[in-house]
Amino acid sequence: MVVITLQRKKCIGCNYCVEMAPGQFRMSKKDGKSVLLNSTDKKGFHTLKSAENHIFEDCVKAQEACPVKIISTKLV
Amino acid sequence: MTSRGSIELMAPAGNFESLQAALDNGADSVYFGVEQLNMRARASINFTLDDLEEISRRSKEKNVRTYLTLNTIIYDHDLSIIKTLLDAAKKAGITAVIAMDQAVIAYARQIDMEVHISTQINITNIETVKFYAMFADTMVLSRELSLNQVKKIVEQIKKEEIKGPSGRLVEIEIFGHGALCMAVSGKCYLSLHSKNSSANRGACKQNCRKKYTVIEQETGFEIELDNEYMMSPKDLCTLDFLDQVADAGIKVLKIEGRGRAPEYVAKVIRSYREAIDAIDAGTFNQEKVAGWMEELKKVYNRGFWSGYYLGQKLGEWSDISGSAATQKKLYVGKGVHYFPKANVAQFKMEAFDINIGDQLLITGPSTGVKEFDLTEMMVNDKPSDSAKKGDEVTIKLDFRVRASDKLYKYVPA
Repeated sequence: MVVITLQRKKCIGCNYCVEMAPGQFRMSKKDGKSVLLNSTDKKGFHTLKSAENHIFEDCVKAQEACPVKIISTKLV
Repeated sequence: MTSRGSIELMAPAGNFESLQAALDNGADSVYFGVEQLNMRARASINFTLDDLEEISRRSKEKNVRTYLTLNTIIYDHDLSIIKTLLDAAKKAGITAVIAMDQAVIAYARQIDMEVHISTQINITNIETVKFYAMFADTMVLSRELSLNQVKKIVEQIKKEEIKGPSGRLVEIEIFGHGALCMAVSGKCYLSLHSKNSSANRGACKQNCRKKYTVIEQETGFEIELDNEYMMSPKDLCTLDFLDQVADAGIKVLKIEGRGRAPEYVAKVIRSYREAIDAIDAGTFNQEKVAGWMEELKKVYNRGFWSGYYLGQKLGEWSDISGSAATQKKLYVGKGVHYFPKANVAQFKMEAFDINIGDQLLITGPSTGVKEFDLTEMMVNDKPSDSAKKGDEVTIKLDFRVRASDKLYKYVPA
């Protein structure tokens, strides 16, 4: 399983995560920040647990590209 | 115009502490970022939309103008938040927006909000001033112009009567004090290139402030440099020739530093306030300059130079990694209570000791910056010369202290 977390409050809206993992991230038109699709929000930490392990690689790219380091990706 | 003098003194406000420090120390206007679309997006504390009303309220009380910085590169996905921000700013009574992107300029005009052109647009000539006069009343010129070039632009604005949307002559703003970077008008690619972190989205990683070596690859020979901080300019300071700056006819003097501590804002604004007032009173002299310079050196700086204003060909480079400030602050404790009838403030000591004779500093979101010399205090209800961690301290103070306030002491750096 893949666990991805986005701490979106600190997002500066640079769009890199969407470039790297378009299947998982989208820019919000409302506040210009990144949205982790299908995630659940717990105190500002937006987490997605997915059984589709093939998304892991793209999400790692997004994590590495993020300039404010608010994405974390784990294989569990 | 609400300026007290011939030049409007514009102060940075990175948070409420700094905002209050600017208001208390003689700023004519303040500028600040809200949410992520400003050149200090990375700063841990940025104001939020909900803070706009409070910023506006506090500033209006002191007749101080308020400018929202919305001057990053803008992408399609930002277009909606721009409108939200500008609508909220307009509603809160914010005076103007500082803009770079045409999308921001266009929407601000659409809702009839005053526009100031950011230095990011890099205006260097009168025809560009004319162009942006269709949209903006105030323009920041390129940081790379000399005072002579600035003066000519100002004179030409008067001669040709170039007016902004308000019907007033276009006002020229320049950078007066603070950090400079080696890139032309901040348009730098280094941070994006090395760390995916765009300076033009307010996320500069400051590659230019680090030490570098130059190695000849064939032999591995390392070239010896006079200064390994080869890309880090000293900080701009115009205070010692502020009379010449005033003579150039500029209307607004911007102090850089939204990422700086509140006491930095307090000291720098106070010094420039006194200098502008002295110019207006005809009492500006080198003796006073020497006094103000000592104050400026106490807070964060990389050493000072005059920028490009005096027409020097080469920049001056810092030879230190951080600050050359002559003093620093140490955290002492926090505010607990204020007894207004007795004018006594109570603090809880949490870190460094304090002693009679120390110079103390209190900062807080409502208190701003207050400095004083410690002449007497009570420690755990008894008069005492020193207090240490864990003690309850009371000090007679003629200003209110709040539970959100922090107490520091100054020590030589």
